[in-house]
Amino acid sequence: MSRLIDTGLEQLSRLLFKMGDLAEKTVSLSLDSYMEGLEVQDKVRVWSETLVALSEQVEEKAIEIIARYQPVASDLRIIESYMKIAYDLSRYGRYAWDITFIYKRLNVNSADCMFPSLPIKELKEKVQDIVHTSIEAVRKSEIDLAKKIGEIENEVDAVYYECLDKLVEQDRITTKCLITNLLFIRHLERIADHASYIGESITYLVTGERISLRGRMSNES
Amino acid sequence: MNGYTIRKIKDRIMVSLAYLALVIALIPLVSILMETVLRGAPAINLSFLTERIPPLGQAGGGIGPAIQGTLIVVGIASMIGVPIGVFSGIYLAEFRETKLASVARFLADVSTNMPSIVIGIFGWALIVTAIGWSVIAGAIALAIMVIPIITRTTEEAVKLVPVTMREAALALGVPRWKTTITIVLSSAKKGIATGILLSIARISGETAPLLLTILGSRFWFGGFTEPTAALPLTIFNFSQSPYSAIDWPRAWGASMVLILMILGINVVVRYFTREKYG
Amino acid sequence: MSYKIEIEDLNAWFGNNHVLKDINMKIRENAVTAIIGPSGCGKTTLIRCLNRMHELVPGARISGRVLLDGRDIYSDGVDPVTVRRRIGMVFQKPNPFPMMSVHDNVAAGLKLNGMKDKQRLDKTVEKSLKLAILWDEVQKELDKSGASLSGGQQQRLCIARALAVEPEVILMDEPCSALDPTATAKIEKLIRTLGESYTVVIVTHNMQQAARVADFTAFLYLGELVEYGDTSTIFENPRNKLTENYITGKFG
Repeated sequence: MSRLIDTGLEQLSRLLFKMGDLAEKTVSLSLDSYMEGLEVQDKVRVWSETLVALSEQVEEKAIEIIARYQPVASDLRIIESYMKIAYDLSRYGRYAWDITFIYKRLNVNSADCMFPSLPIKELKEKVQDIVHTSIEAVRKSEIDLAKKIGEIENEVDAVYYECLDKLVEQDRITTKCLITNLLFIRHLERIADHASYIGESITYLVTGERISLRGRMSNES
Repeated sequence: MNGYTIRKIKDRIMVSLAYLALVIALIPLVSILMETVLRGAPAINLSFLTERIPPLGQAGGGIGPAIQGTLIVVGIASMIGVPIGVFSGIYLAEFRETKLASVARFLADVSTNMPSIVIGIFGWALIVTAIGWSVIAGAIALAIMVIPIITRTTEEAVKLVPVTMREAALALGVPRWKTTITIVLSSAKKGIATGILLSIARISGETAPLLLTILGSRFWFGGFTEPTAALPLTIFNFSQSPYSAIDWPRAWGASMVLILMILGINVVVRYFTREKYG
Repeated sequence: MSYKIEIEDLNAWFGNNHVLKDINMKIRENAVTAIIGPSGCGKTTLIRCLNRMHELVPGARISGRVLLDGRDIYSDGVDPVTVRRRIGMVFQKPNPFPMMSVHDNVAAGLKLNGMKDKQRLDKTVEKSLKLAILWDEVQKELDKSGASLSGGQQQRLCIARALAVEPEVILMDEPCSALDPTATAKIEKLIRTLGESYTVVIVTHNMQQAARVADFTAFLYLGELVEYGDTSTIFENPRNKLTENYITGKFG
């Protein structure tokens, strides 16, 4: 039986999925162009601002649904989760923009700062994977995908710490490059964090349980 | 002539027919009242109402004993019939579903439609043959008539008390019997009183049972085991008189008194059960 | 945390109609418990079994036990009248006695059970009307007919009447469904307050009301207890799919 609230929920989902696609695009563009030294700053900035505007729309829609339909149980969990996820997606956009900003502000060609032992490419690919998985998880509301996010998050953490170690060990590196790399991997790690928040929100939406997907800090790092 | 006009005409015809039927129905009632008043009023004066009944054809006297007789017989019948009728009615309303209730209800309904002459014969066979023509026999016969009527009207009045009111009382921890006696009865008392008064009005005018039980007389009340006069019987007697010039006006006068009594009860009932606002 | 009423294997019938099936429930003392479910699920029958009003309908019967403070109210020798003095009830449509004044309505339960002391009666009437948040509105008009009050006031009058006999449990059968939103809000607030000192069980078809008012909620469907737990859990994350579907409006 279709209910009055269903129309509102549909509109909310559509907004969110739209955000998801845009967020994934934004992150991809930003990461790819960083690695290749491309100038995409303006495009990414516009997309990031769009994501912020969309997240505000999602919030407004969610509040409207609460006020009008008094959702309970699964409906209520959808509303709460989508509000959180919208914020996380807007953070994707924000970090993507921050990354393009590194090049612009510091005037550094990132390609010059890479060295073989730094697993920065691996980190970038894992983060792209986790972002993609998170968008999929939102689209399908599948908790298996949320679990996968948790696994990738652990891997991301491992590679991140490896990068840190390698950067510390490296003697012959300019300050500019050091800062560039540090900022880059830091932003990547934060993107991954938000992906795991999304995974947690999806898990809550489906099961009603609040869990933590973030990697445990291992004692050796 | 479109459909609407035809319908309007049909409408008016139906309304006029209904109106006509009503007028025709009222004609006999109105004429009875008018005739009775026109012919009876001249006969009525204080002495008519208070003096003893004269022999047929004799001038003077009145219908005093008849009025007294009716009052006594109907009074005793009520004293017997009202308590029995009311409590039976309460039983039927409160224990609606029992076998006894269904049977009793059926019998009561049949009894209310029993020909009054049959009740008269019953009264004669049972009581008059034992103790003779008497006030008691008449009172019992009238009581037998009035009990089923009061039972059913009481039952209906008690049934009208909404279940919610009973439930409210029961939920307060009031025992069932107390609920019935206090809440239900005080809520139904108007209906019960109406039923009682109207049944009394009804039996005041019954002639057949009295014919076979109190026999009638010209004299004042002489004892419970003696025959006595009563309005319907006196009216009948006067109407059978060969001296119609003298006795017919008395018959009309007695009729008017009887009708006034019954009308009076009805008016009183109406007055006390009118809708009070505020 | 103790249980005022424990319902064990309760079954109820109207003739051959099996209306309640194997109900097992423990009702917390001094809390508000709501019973929700679609029409005909048996919720009214359930509370009427708690104060032995169910058996007043011809052809109605029960099996199982209902323990009040540990003692079965259906055991032989228990007088239903005493049960009903300890467990009061407020009905869906306000039903003050129209032939009695406001004062007499509240005092009805006491007077009909023999209390004659006028002073005590007056004090109890005042106390009950204050508990029912009606005193301020009627204190100058205690002699007016009970039926002359507004719907919301009448219902609070019925609550005061029920409170006057000092019950331990108050059962309410959809107490607000005949009232407008403002009156409903007043009574909902009253229910929450009463829940602090009485054990309140309320039947409602308005889920939002149960969510607002109750500490615990039970979901009944076709005579069976489907789910029972604290209200937040039921409305945020019910365990049973049927409950979920009912409260989100997917059926019923």
